[in-house]
Amino acid sequence: MLFPAALGLGLPIGIGLAAIGSGIGIGFLGKGAMEAMGRQPEILPKLQVAMIIGFGFAEALTIYAFVTMFFLQGRIG
Amino acid sequence: MQTPRPGRDILDRALRASWLAAIFIALVLAPSHPYDALSLLAGQLIAFLHFMFLRKIVKLFTEKRGGAGALIAIKLVLVYGGLMALMSWGRVRYAPLCAGFALPFLALFLKSMMLAFGAGPASLWRRPRQPVGGSGVSGAAVIAILFVLAAASPALAGPPTVTDTPASSKTHAGEAAIPDPSHPQPAASAHHEEGAAELPNWLVILHDWNPDNPVITWLDENQVIVFAWIAGFLFLFISWIAMRNAKMVPGVLQNAIEWMVESMENIAGGLLGEKHIQRHFPIIGALFFYILTINMLGIIPGMKSATSSLDLTLALALITFLYVQFWGIRNLGIVGYLDHLAGSPRDAIGWAMLPVMLPVHVLGELAKPVSLSCRLFGNIFGEDTLIVVFVGATAMLIKASLVALAVPPMAGITALFMMLQTLTSIVQALIFSLLATVYLYMMLPHEEHGPEESHA
Repeated sequence: MLFPAALGLGLPIGIGLAAIGSGIGIGFLGKGAMEAMGRQPEILPKLQVAMIIGFGFAEALTIYAFVTMFFLQGRIG
Repeated sequence: MQTPRPGRDILDRALRASWLAAIFIALVLAPSHPYDALSLLAGQLIAFLHFMFLRKIVKLFTEKRGGAGALIAIKLVLVYGGLMALMSWGRVRYAPLCAGFALPFLALFLKSMMLAFGAGPASLWRRPRQPVGGSGVSGAAVIAILFVLAAASPALAGPPTVTDTPASSKTHAGEAAIPDPSHPQPAASAHHEEGAAELPNWLVILHDWNPDNPVITWLDENQVIVFAWIAGFLFLFISWIAMRNAKMVPGVLQNAIEWMVESMENIAGGLLGEKHIQRHFPIIGALFFYILTINMLGIIPGMKSATSSLDLTLALALITFLYVQFWGIRNLGIVGYLDHLAGSPRDAIGWAMLPVMLPVHVLGELAKPVSLSCRLFGNIFGEDTLIVVFVGATAMLIKASLVALAVPPMAGITALFMMLQTLTSIVQALIFSLLATVYLYMMLPHEEHGPEESHA
């Protein structure tokens, strides 16, 4: 298999896989935060900050894949 | 602040200012580029009609009078039909048309900013107390001066040929690059040449319009720096305006800025603790507001988010990294810092794990700036690319003369993504500064919190 062809097939799949992982992670985070907020609404401001930071960490993984794609994109053609 | 008289509200003033600017620019352009000037005026006329009809329709709707439907129909035919007719007319130039169409919006934006800064709705001419400061006229004057400079400068650079001469512009680029080789020009130009999709900002338009000017070429090659400067000066300007004469009972803008700063301080203080936030809030808050300004700049048409380049985000992340390490060493001492890096070995197992833990911790520290910069860059760049894709699709549909299909649905989707971009801008600025706070928190001694939390 040619290197560009392999790259062109692999990059989108890689991004998709990374997005699946991040999505699961963010979903769990949001679920936990929502449940905690429902149980204890007075904790909301503190929880929101922690939740957003967690989102940031989870989302970063997809962004790494995206950045990798961006750097390797030029070698496809 | 007095209420504006009914006939002379902010829209009137903005429209008048934009007409003045458009006529001035058209007069400057007319001798050399007559079609550009005509297109500019046509765009301005269309936008003017749009505003006039919009005001009338809104008035009819709010007063619950009939006839709005007929007016809407007339507006559709006149404004959108006129726009389509203009676009299908072969001679029209797109960039001046868009510029003319955008001028009233720009003037309105500047006027509303002016109103928010508390300058009040004063007349354009009778305003002795207000010196230079972001009114429609001064904004238009800046644009006009830029255009005049661009028009005048081919005399410096050579014969005013409209055709692109790659050789001469290359030499100018080389000359302009010599004074400071330390700037990240290779990366910027690489972005440019490999055609990473980007909406044209005003620097690109200026450069296309006049490729021979060394100043414009230099600006065009260092777009990231230019837009970072613009954002920084905007940030400084707004803060200066807001806090110029701070009062105990704050005005509109002072109140808004104070609210933003205080809520940011509360969020970061909740993580860092009361004692440390006093010392470290300046850099955390500066990071947040600076990144926020840069991100938001990209939403304005003709501007660009400087954070959609890895150069700037990496610089910001490195600043954060150095700051965190500096405070780690300063608070823990050299020995304590090394102890922290080694994972605080206290028993035999800890010492035995030292060869493993030390590299892991060092790598973890080094991964922080990479992760910070890539996260910010990836998010902003991704949003920008998304919008570029949709705008490109719209442009392709227009080129295939499917204007009716292109403009309403595609433009609506693009506007939706722009709202999403606003959200992303805020959230990413927040995440960047909060992660910096968390990294700082890991480095600072926090014995006073530890036992309570472990008991709880």
